[in-house]
Amino acid sequence: MNTYQFSWTVIQNHLPELIDGLIITLEISLVGMIWAIAFGLLLAMMRLSQYRISRSISYGVIQVFRSIPLFVLLFWIYYGLSLKFNIKFSDFQAGAIALGITGGAYMAEVFRGGLNAIDAGQQEAALAIGLTRSTATRLIVLPQAIRIIIPQAVNVYVGLLKGATIVSVIGVADMIYVAQYVSLQEFRPFELYTFAGMVFISLTLSIAGFAWLLERKLSEGRSNV
Amino acid sequence: MFAERTNKVRVNFDLHRESGDLISMSMTENDYLLEVKNVSKIFGDHRVLSDINLSITKGEVVCIIGPSGSGKSTLLRCINFIAPPDTGEIIFEGRTWRKFHSKYNIFANNRYEKGLPSLRSDIGMVFQHFNVFPHMTALENVVIGLVRVRKMSKSAAREIGCKQLQLVGLADKINQYPEKLSGGQKQRVAIARALALNPKVMLFDEVTSSLDPELVSGILDEIRRLAGVGMTMIVVTHEMNFAFQVAHRIVFMDQGKIVESGTPEQIKNTKEPRTQAFLSSILT
Repeated sequence: MNTYQFSWTVIQNHLPELIDGLIITLEISLVGMIWAIAFGLLLAMMRLSQYRISRSISYGVIQVFRSIPLFVLLFWIYYGLSLKFNIKFSDFQAGAIALGITGGAYMAEVFRGGLNAIDAGQQEAALAIGLTRSTATRLIVLPQAIRIIIPQAVNVYVGLLKGATIVSVIGVADMIYVAQYVSLQEFRPFELYTFAGMVFISLTLSIAGFAWLLERKLSEGRSNV
Repeated sequence: MFAERTNKVRVNFDLHRESGDLISMSMTENDYLLEVKNVSKIFGDHRVLSDINLSITKGEVVCIIGPSGSGKSTLLRCINFIAPPDTGEIIFEGRTWRKFHSKYNIFANNRYEKGLPSLRSDIGMVFQHFNVFPHMTALENVVIGLVRVRKMSKSAAREIGCKQLQLVGLADKINQYPEKLSGGQKQRVAIARALALNPKVMLFDEVTSSLDPELVSGILDEIRRLAGVGMTMIVVTHEMNFAFQVAHRIVFMDQGKIVESGTPEQIKNTKEPRTQAFLSSILT
């Protein structure tokens, strides 16, 4: 019987490189998430604006960028822009921007949902005491919406974290790239990819746990009445 | 409190005489603190307010009554431009406010928006559903307007905030979050929040309608207290006995129009059939 013998020593031997790869994965997904938050907030504000033009633009952008596969977007930003318009990004930058754009389209919907869930009376009461519209949103509506936004933002981040594995195709030395590279030398793809999978599972679970704690902390002594 | 108003006018008058200004000044200036002129509001096809005129002098308590859907709340929201009137104008302390919206000029809209807080911060408003800020303590609810709108220091604002909360009987709830407060207490926070800014007019929008019955009288007492110190107020209410007791003038609205307005006595003995029908339906 031809059974494959697992040999986990390959992980031990290459742990430093794998950890370096993991750090790159985390970095690129975090930078991507920061872009996603900024881009998403902008799109959400446009979507909730009083001007129809800005609402339509935002709607279009959200729909388009949610529909483009990350893989295609990545190719366009890394190769397309440099070939066609001579705009050059490093592989890391291109990856972070692609993640930021895709994530931003999702975050926009998350922000919009959160802001819409807050009773309109809150905004009115804030205006009535003389706050400007933007201050009212920033100090009254947003802090309440955050509690609804955070759990969903974590979902988006988990998506980005897994999406971040795709950046290996343009040569970012993330964990998947390292696993691929090492497995070519050592012929141990199962061990390496299984290890990567386990790392992602534990990452995702601990992020979810962290979000749960954060959510509880934020809702301490406060209800939405 | 009307005597007080005349006094103030007299003071003005004397000041101008001393400074050698035109003496006729206080004669030509009208005495209204707040005027609603030809205000209409349309939502879609529905005309919620049509051609409303209402003038209020300083210290006056006006109660607006009428069936639900008659536009009472909308009128209040037009006054502080939370729902800007589609036509007509609001004159507050001699300054005229009209709706403005440009489809294309975002900067003009912004400039206009930036001006509205100076109107709103002088008009206090209390809502049916309290609308206290749930993520802030009672004190923070009151303080935010002082710090952000009146640009006070945090410590000065806290002092005023504590005093206002004390006045509405919440001295021991200062650091509570609204979640821990009863409906009546939340409404008191909302009243303190409005009063802290030292408004010149208070608008009350059915402030007891969502309270448990046993809490209603407490809030009505707060409004009476304000009437006692000469606060100018427009009170939309379904509490008829209260309205007839506390109001200097009662305005009856129906289907977006002011049907009738007069002293409580006049309204009680009205010949207007719609007012009569409404009052008999409520008072029996």
